[in-house]
Amino acid sequence: MVAPEIAFENVSHSFATPAGPMPVIDDVSFEMARGTFTAVIGPSGCGKSTLLQMLAGLLKPSKGRVRQSGREIAGVNSTIGFIPQQSLLFPWYTLSQNVALPMVFKNVPAAEREERVRRILADVGLDGFADHYPHQLSGGMQKRGSIARTLVYRPDVILMDEPFGALDAQTRMVMQDDLQGLVARQGATVVLITHDITEAVLLADEVVVLSRRPARVIARVPIALARPRNVFEPFAVPGFDDAYGQVWQRFRAEVLA
Amino acid sequence: MKKAILALLPGLVLLAFWEWASGRLIREIYVSKPSAIAVRLYELFATGEILPHLVVTLQELVLGYLVGVLSGVVVGYWLGRSPRVAAVVEPYVMAFYGIPKIALAPLFIIWFGIGIGSKIALAGIMVFFLTFYNVYTGVRNVDREYANLALIMGAKERQLTRHVYLPAAAPFVLLGMRMAIPYSVIGVIVGEFASSTRGLGLFINQASSTYDPAGVFAGIVILLAFILVANIGAARLERRLLRWRPQAAAQSNDI
Ligand SMILES: Nc1ncnc2c1ncn2[C@@H]1O[C@H](COP(=O)(O)OP(=O)(O)OP(=O)(O)O)[C@@H](O)[C@H]1O
Ligand SMILES: [Mg+2]
Repeated sequence: MVAPEIAFENVSHSFATPAGPMPVIDDVSFEMARGTFTAVIGPSGCGKSTLLQMLAGLLKPSKGRVRQSGREIAGVNSTIGFIPQQSLLFPWYTLSQNVALPMVFKNVPAAEREERVRRILADVGLDGFADHYPHQLSGGMQKRGSIARTLVYRPDVILMDEPFGALDAQTRMVMQDDLQGLVARQGATVVLITHDITEAVLLADEVVVLSRRPARVIARVPIALARPRNVFEPFAVPGFDDAYGQVWQRFRAEVLA
Repeated sequence: MKKAILALLPGLVLLAFWEWASGRLIREIYVSKPSAIAVRLYELFATGEILPHLVVTLQELVLGYLVGVLSGVVVGYWLGRSPRVAAVVEPYVMAFYGIPKIALAPLFIIWFGIGIGSKIALAGIMVFFLTFYNVYTGVRNVDREYANLALIMGAKERQLTRHVYLPAAAPFVLLGMRMAIPYSVIGVIVGEFASSTRGLGLFINQASSTYDPAGVFAGIVILLAFILVANIGAARLERRLLRWRPQAAAQSNDI
């Protein structure tokens, strides 16, 4: 049997606080096959970003293991692409320099770098802003820049922490559609954290529903809708209502309680 | 343009008052007067009397400054990136930081002789501590998240320095470099006062002991000119390197 691309194995985590250890993750286990798209939803502050930090190798779980291709993640993980919740564009570089930077680290030749930067900036609707510094961009534009900076170097695994939260509704749909296309073409394994059930259902192959803090896995809902999905008109997607209803059923107890 | 004239005005008024008061309110032997200083400056350059002093002091300043800045940046960066070493070394550095560097002048004369070596050392150590401290603080304050993100993107150690730590610490580095300018002058002049065969410090000292106040002020004016020019250079550099900062566009004073 092929090892899953990513696996959380009985992961628990507590943060030290002045009032003693605070449990944030409680015995979470789930895995993702290579090339699949997993959405993780859960109430605010439940520990979603914390899980992603573990995958990125920035945080070691107090208990349990996180594996990638069978190997335990130890130390900063440079085999993934990470789009953090804050955009974190480097303030001292222009937008195009920011987007080119990972390719500089990976020794992509300058000419190819330029071409790829130009194309991805057009894709995310930021052509014309290449020479702007981050502080000259709006929050949503910074976010798109941050997404472009990761997609442009085509990592096999992409971690996204609420990438579309700060965007207006139209831009969000365009970006979701782009992401869907890019992922289909690249065959990347994607973990997407979101608050938005519609987004989760439209993009994912499986939705992992987390409880309130400390996070436990309440449900794993497979989404078997045909691709490509029309993100602009979710309710016209055959089977969408049903899938949405299934996720919402599991989620409502956590939200409404 | 109008602003420049407005900025010059208080200076001109002061000069005029100085010219008028000298010999009326205060004896000229104490304070000289602007016209006499101007004449003296002209003489010094016309006869070439000042040139050997100027050359020596300029050498000491430039070398002392460079030695101090370079060593300050290197040591500050290294300690800033090595918290464990820093924890051990920091108390010692702070103790040395507290020593009035001027008190080291006689010692440096013994160690490095009365030539330019001792002045370079004295200016260098004053500049070193200022630059070191700023770079060290700057590097330690670099947001860990930026470094982590660069590592995730595949940055090697050298690239981390070049693309994250140095640019992030640049505002501190440049601030330290700018603050260090007057200190390099202090170091050099004190060194020359203590013992020297040439230099503006020596010239000022001699002018004072021969009751030549115009000469003393002429020397000071030349030093002032050094500092002014260096500050303008530093401000230019800052504006070029810190273009990315939101405030950078707003602040535009050269001095
Ligand atoms: N470094 C830390 N030290 C202490 N507590 C932390 C730390 N990081 C996160 N926490 C706490 O852990 C909990 C989970 O944080 P996390 O950022 O994972 O939430 P989240 O699910 O991503 O929330 P949101 O949807 O609002 O982004 C929060 O209560 C937070 O206060
Ligand atoms: Mg979060």
